[in-house]
Amino acid sequence: MTPIWSPLWLSLRIATVATTLTVAIGMPLAFWMSRRRQFAGRSLVEGVIMMPLVLPPTVVGYFIIMALGARGWGGQWLFKLTGYSIIFRFEGAVLAAVVVALPMFYMPAKAAFATVERELEDMARSLGANRLQMFWHVSIPLARRGLLSGLLLAFARALGEFGATIMVFGWQPKQITLPISIYADFEQNQLASATAAVVALSVVSLALIMAYNASSASRQD
Amino acid sequence: MRRFFAFVLILLASTAARATTVRVAVAISLKEAVTEIGKSFESDSGDKVEFTFGSSGQLQGQIKNGAELDLFISAANKQVDELTHDELVAAETRRVVAGNSLVLVVPADAKDAPSSFEALADPSVKRLATGEPKTVPAGQYTAQVLKKLGLTDKLADRLVYGANVRQVLGYVERGEVTAGIVYLTDAKESGDKVKVVATAAPDTHDPIVYPAVVIKASKQPDAAKRFLDYLGSEKARDVLTAKGFSAGADVPADKKP
Repeated sequence: MTPIWSPLWLSLRIATVATTLTVAIGMPLAFWMSRRRQFAGRSLVEGVIMMPLVLPPTVVGYFIIMALGARGWGGQWLFKLTGYSIIFRFEGAVLAAVVVALPMFYMPAKAAFATVERELEDMARSLGANRLQMFWHVSIPLARRGLLSGLLLAFARALGEFGATIMVFGWQPKQITLPISIYADFEQNQLASATAAVVALSVVSLALIMAYNASSASRQD
Repeated sequence: MRRFFAFVLILLASTAARATTVRVAVAISLKEAVTEIGKSFESDSGDKVEFTFGSSGQLQGQIKNGAELDLFISAANKQVDELTHDELVAAETRRVVAGNSLVLVVPADAKDAPSSFEALADPSVKRLATGEPKTVPAGQYTAQVLKKLGLTDKLADRLVYGANVRQVLGYVERGEVTAGIVYLTDAKESGDKVKVVATAAPDTHDPIVYPAVVIKASKQPDAAKRFLDYLGSEKARDVLTAKGFSAGADVPADKKP
């Protein structure tokens, strides 16, 4: 049986950092988009955010390598100046996870912000709160269940990310995520050894989805 | 109706004419080289040659299942050993027709790249791409070299596996790794995107050989032998060496079962 503790730990670290970033980017974005009715290019922006839901993750991997790889459009300059490339690094795996996790958070977050009663926000403003205070003390607490649902989905998606990660993070025998360890066992024709990793991922994912269901059910009470 | 018979006759005649066609099963890595050698064999001998390409394991399976083939060129000894054991090949005809070597490649524009296998221990080598050692033959040979040079543990944290040699080459071409270890023939195909900086000493790994053997079920073993001999000719040698292989005659004698 392939040991799972170090892959599990790496996957949890990547998913935690990626989810934190996803929330940090996705929350203001979802709020802003739920408050702005129309602007030029709105559907394009939303399309780009949502695209990873339907795109094969290999396309995400392609874009990351082409944009940020050592020979990439932008990556080559960074690489020439500093010798840094995101490929094969922890940050690369995090970026791949953020791209695929963002729509999972964005959708429920935007829906949640849309249900927040605007009068309560306006009241906070009229009582002297600035926009940031209003966002932090009124909008977020009122949308918290939807935000939590999104966070759980995003974490689950980040934890399970494989397609973009195998391209960006590669197959490093000493640094292997849980999904990649399953692929490695498959490639080495020892699929049965992947059982522990499969059970671990299935149990964690199931728990996350059940928590998501509970959080979205209690929202309707 | 008469026309139909004429047509059938022509068909029969053409099959008869094709009776001297040698059917050769060849490991895919030799595709370009044997295709070229096959063409010059046809014009030199008047015989025809027809190739089936695949992985050595796939071709071994086809021979086991009785595919109509005359000659088998494998990318490793293992498949021929097993077929010999199964008594499906004429073991006395077996010979090495080509060899390959393992080289260290770096991106073409790399500065202060490692210049030898020993230099891989240096901390300036951030990442090394190799074939996965359990399933990729080049990776197996690489693991032998690293072990022989005492580098296995030193490099463990810096390894990146490719699921095949082409992937390893891609990592080097894109400059994502400091260096990679591939066959010389693959390095040559990559053209000027990578630079070969060192060749692994032959005594650091098992010989990388391409053995050929006539298949017992062949109905035209003589024609098969003619092509086998041709693979050892000067013309074949020129084609092989141009592609980065070594000619069979130059491969150090390897152990045969």
